Amino acid sequence: MPATPSAIPGGKTASGERTAPGVRIGGLTVVYRTPAGELPAVSGVDLDLPPGTITGVVGESGSGKSTLALSLLNAVQPPGRISAGSVEIDGLGDVVALRGEDLRRARGRHVGYVFQAAQNSLNPLKTVGRQLLDLGRSHGVGDLRALVREAGDLLGRMGLDGARVLDSYQHELSGGMRQRVGIMFALVLNAHLVVLDEPTTALDMITQATILRIIREVHEERGLTTLVITHDLGVVAEVADRLAVMYGGRLVEQGPTRQVLGDPRHPYTRGLIQAIPRLVGDIGEARALPGRPPTLATIPARGCVFRERCPLRMDVCESEHPPAVAHGARLVSCHAVEAVTAGARKEQA
Amino acid sequence: MTVIARRLAGHLARGIAMVLVVATISFFIIRNIPGDPIAARYQKLVEQGMSPEAAERATAVMYGFLPSGTLWEQYVDYMGGLFRFDLGVSVTNPGTPVTTVLGEAAKWTVLPVLTGTLLSFLLGVTMGVYAAIKRSGVLGDLLAISGSLLHGVPQYVLALLMGAIFTTLIPVLPPGGTADILFEPGFNAGYIGSLIEHATLPVVTYALAGYGGWILAMKSSVVTVLGDDFILAAELRGMKRSIIFRYIMRNAILPLFTILAISLGLLFGGAIFIEKIFNYPGLGFLLIESVTNRDYALMGGAFLIITVAIVVANILADLFYTVIDPRVRSGAEAAA
Ligand SMILES: Nc1ncnc2c1ncn2[C@@H]1O[C@H](COP(=O)(O)OP(=O)(O)OP(=O)(O)O)[C@@H](O)[C@H]1O
Ligand SMILES: [Mg+2]
Repeated sequence: MPATPSAIPGGKTASGERTAPGVRIGGLTVVYRTPAGELPAVSGVDLDLPPGTITGVVGESGSGKSTLALSLLNAVQPPGRISAGSVEIDGLGDVVALRGEDLRRARGRHVGYVFQAAQNSLNPLKTVGRQLLDLGRSHGVGDLRALVREAGDLLGRMGLDGARVLDSYQHELSGGMRQRVGIMFALVLNAHLVVLDEPTTALDMITQATILRIIREVHEERGLTTLVITHDLGVVAEVADRLAVMYGGRLVEQGPTRQVLGDPRHPYTRGLIQAIPRLVGDIGEARALPGRPPTLATIPARGCVFRERCPLRMDVCESEHPPAVAHGARLVSCHAVEAVTAGARKEQA
Repeated sequence: MTVIARRLAGHLARGIAMVLVVATISFFIIRNIPGDPIAARYQKLVEQGMSPEAAERATAVMYGFLPSGTLWEQYVDYMGGLFRFDLGVSVTNPGTPVTTVLGEAAKWTVLPVLTGTLLSFLLGVTMGVYAAIKRSGVLGDLLAISGSLLHGVPQYVLALLMGAIFTTLIPVLPPGGTADILFEPGFNAGYIGSLIEHATLPVVTYALAGYGGWILAMKSSVVTVLGDDFILAAELRGMKRSIIFRYIMRNAILPLFTILAISLGLLFGGAIFIEKIFNYPGLGFLLIESVTNRDYALMGGAFLIITVAIVVANILADLFYTVIDPRVRSGAEAAA
């Protein structure tokens, strides 16, 4: 992998080539204004994206994944707002503090974003090509021909006829084609931090596999830092170096993908893995998690967010939020897991 | 090209059918008017000493069919005349063909209606955009409220109000007519100035009457587009504000063009109150006159021309759509 942690702050080497930026999300809290007051959809999230890695964020619907992803662009939409924390991106600084033109230029140019609803991410009245030119002009791209060529190449790699797609309107493209166009838009300006929110939801299994392979390839070729948001553990298993598991707006476990999937510690991570038939083999063995994920209104304000559905629930879970504790390369937030490891340590002693 | 031609052909067919229906209805109205003015006229002419044949022909010229024929013969006569642009002769303007009277009146409707509507469209759309963008502020609220209020006031109330204000309270504008008789009609400053002066009240009233609707329509259209995913996507790609603004405008204004075309068509007939109140001799004024004077041939002609205006407006709206909306364009291709 060509990506070396950027030697020069600013994410550029002396030759002007951009390199993979590191990202440090610290204490990030995002709230939405609701009739019941401002409620957090993301609470105190700490997450580092090491330069050159692909990080996956998994969680059930409503766990706050898209909200977290939008925060990386300081693009949380009203009635939401980032109420605390920071998102430090090499070369940009804290994007939470960015405003106006600085913020606009960072979007697209430094951070590529594939929108969750990528099927509807195009202006219905303009061809893809014209919107590409609009993008180029927005970012002062001098050589628009080269931009079009680049876009055609990217589309070609994703199995599309680049020239034809550029000449098409949104309604002339299938959902899967639109999604790939969305990915092209995120990559075409050569952004080195790429955020993909559910990049493969509209795709069949085969196209999904192709897209994931391409994301991986482009990631390595260009030396990107990539964040992939998904509810599908299969997707992260395939592409992500590191994995963060999200529940009720909090990260409950994070670490190298292999460790997290091979030896899950947090009871929620275990539940997620057991709920997938194809990872455990026998369909009969798949066990759905009991209960339902919380909504903004039902996320408990105190204590552990997962306790309602937790098989290991203890008294302390009612009152205290479990801190993230390091287990080797991994961070786990669970009172029960700590109690067990503490017990094991005592026995060893 | 063929797509547009085919679409146009379809529209023309439908439009002609509609005109025929309206013509048929006006034929039956004329033919079955209580008191049978056709027979009465024939009778009167004969009494005045005309030979029966001459009286018959004179009556036919007036109404478009022979008073003695069978229903079917009369219908064929009337419709045949229609295709020769012969709608009979107006009673109120003896000897003048209906088409001439209509043409004269259309002149006084088309330009003011067009000017007034376009004015209100431009103003209303611009203000609607502001109302949408500033919708959580005082300015947005004020604009929206002004729109609702104006939209709720009936046209004739607005016309009476405008008349009262600008001809009585502050008498700066003439109360009616098309131009001062002092001026020699023609291309001279005095006459044209007087024309404009007389047209001001009707035009401004059209504009005010439409404005509220445009503000409200544009505001809701912009708000809808603002919530569309592709606008957020454009923001996330760091598109320039001016470009995003254009995306919003183009998408938001599109549905309004249909309303614009249709309301233009409707206004040709709907101008009745305004033209009556300002004594402005356009088509609406003519329609009222023809009804009060029982000038049935003229009435039928006026209905017909209003129908044609609506049909033409619809065709224009659709063709325009086909040109600017790629979805409609390819939908048409698929259908073709
Ligand atoms: N505009 C909004 N107003 C109020 N609440 C919102 C808004 N947008 C999101 N939320 C709430 O914030 C929480 C997190 O939403 P988010 O879209 O980030 O979830 P997600 O993990 O991306 O879900 P999915 O997998 O369905 O995309 C949810 O409970 C959602 O209801
Ligand atoms: Mg989401």
